[in-house]
Amino acid sequence: MNGAAIHSDPAQLRAWLHGAAQRDRSAFRSLYDASSPRLYGLALRILGRRELAEEVLQESFVAIWHHARDYESALSAPMTWMTTIVRNRAFDTLRRSRNDSDADAVDSQALESLADLAATPAERLQMSSEAQALADCMAALEEKHREVVGMAFFHDLSHSDVAHQLALPLGTVKTWIRRSLARLHSCLVARGAA
Amino acid sequence: MKLKNNEALRERLAAEYVLGTLRGHARRRFEGLMHDDAALRRTTREWNERLGAMAEFAPAATPDVRVWRAIEDRLGLRPAAPRWQFWRHGTLALWRGLGLASSAVAALLVVSVLQQRPESARMSDIASLTDEQARPALVVTADRARGLMTVKVVSTVPLTAQQALQLWAVPRDGKPRSLGVLGANRALTLPLPANAIGADVALLAVSLEPKGGSTNPDGPSGPILYKGSWAHVL
Repeated sequence: MNGAAIHSDPAQLRAWLHGAAQRDRSAFRSLYDASSPRLYGLALRILGRRELAEEVLQESFVAIWHHARDYESALSAPMTWMTTIVRNRAFDTLRRSRNDSDADAVDSQALESLADLAATPAERLQMSSEAQALADCMAALEEKHREVVGMAFFHDLSHSDVAHQLALPLGTVKTWIRRSLARLHSCLVARGAA
Repeated sequence: MKLKNNEALRERLAAEYVLGTLRGHARRRFEGLMHDDAALRRTTREWNERLGAMAEFAPAATPDVRVWRAIEDRLGLRPAAPRWQFWRHGTLALWRGLGLASSAVAALLVVSVLQQRPESARMSDIASLTDEQARPALVVTADRARGLMTVKVVSTVPLTAQQALQLWAVPRDGKPRSLGVLGANRALTLPLPANAIGADVALLAVSLEPKGGSTNPDGPSGPILYKGSWAHVL
């Protein structure tokens, strides 16, 4: 996968989203081509199953087409806006599939897919500058703390879910998350990326 | 929970809201507070940008092409042209085969049509348009000498008052050409334009359209119900 193809310029993505809001099919197609590998990767990471991730990607782009007009007022970067849509939909699907099946089996599968969140140099090259800054700041956290933040972000786990999964006291998990977020904040602000 | 002047608490709650660890009652309460507090909405948005970048840590993966097709289908984004130009995508041989089959049907129909026509009418070409089961639906005859063609309904789908059938000449290249619109009438005589019967016409087709004809200037807007090709008889 070519990094340039995945990682599109925010101004370009914004222009395509604007086009989609005007019902421009080719702009919408370009938006899909540029952003779908990232968004599909995210859905796959959250759900761990191709067919569920494909369904979420499909639903998300239908929503993006319908709500492209609302994007202007969202005041966020285009990729952030689309990421939020995909993540929320993936979590809805995750909750349904947890209700439908053995919750422990789903969660341990999710845990196995949780690779170390400190990126390799090759992966870094494909990231936006914001993600590179975040990766650097996360790398400065203790490994266990990083893991807890990643679990919450990718697997829709509450404090007590995380505590249960890692066999840690609830208070410890709460403290770790609170402290990690505060450190990320000051690290990112210090780098001027916040 | 006194948020107003507690910057550290505001930051923490916004961050946990975005991360997803702020749950249940606390989450709903936070959403209520955001509603009336523009600065809190901005803080939350900033956290969404910061933590949202974590999505990029997941390795990118190219989705199967069926995902895009499903999106197009659900949103009705696929342009009408490809459906119409299906025969161009390597299936022209198949169409020629179908053309032969309907020529055979046409030959049978020639007899009955000829019997009904006055002596003065001279028929140069005939086409039998059939449905997918090769059942004849319409017969089109051309009189090159007088520049006229006649469309006769043999048996078509019932039409409502808001529907019509539209006859098209489909060239090997370029857009389909409309030849006429058939409403409730069972037979229609139309002028025969040269481009309706030229050598470049691959087939004739009939689409189901709103009363008055296709709303699409480039071709049919409704489904293709019948098709067939010209057979030169004189």
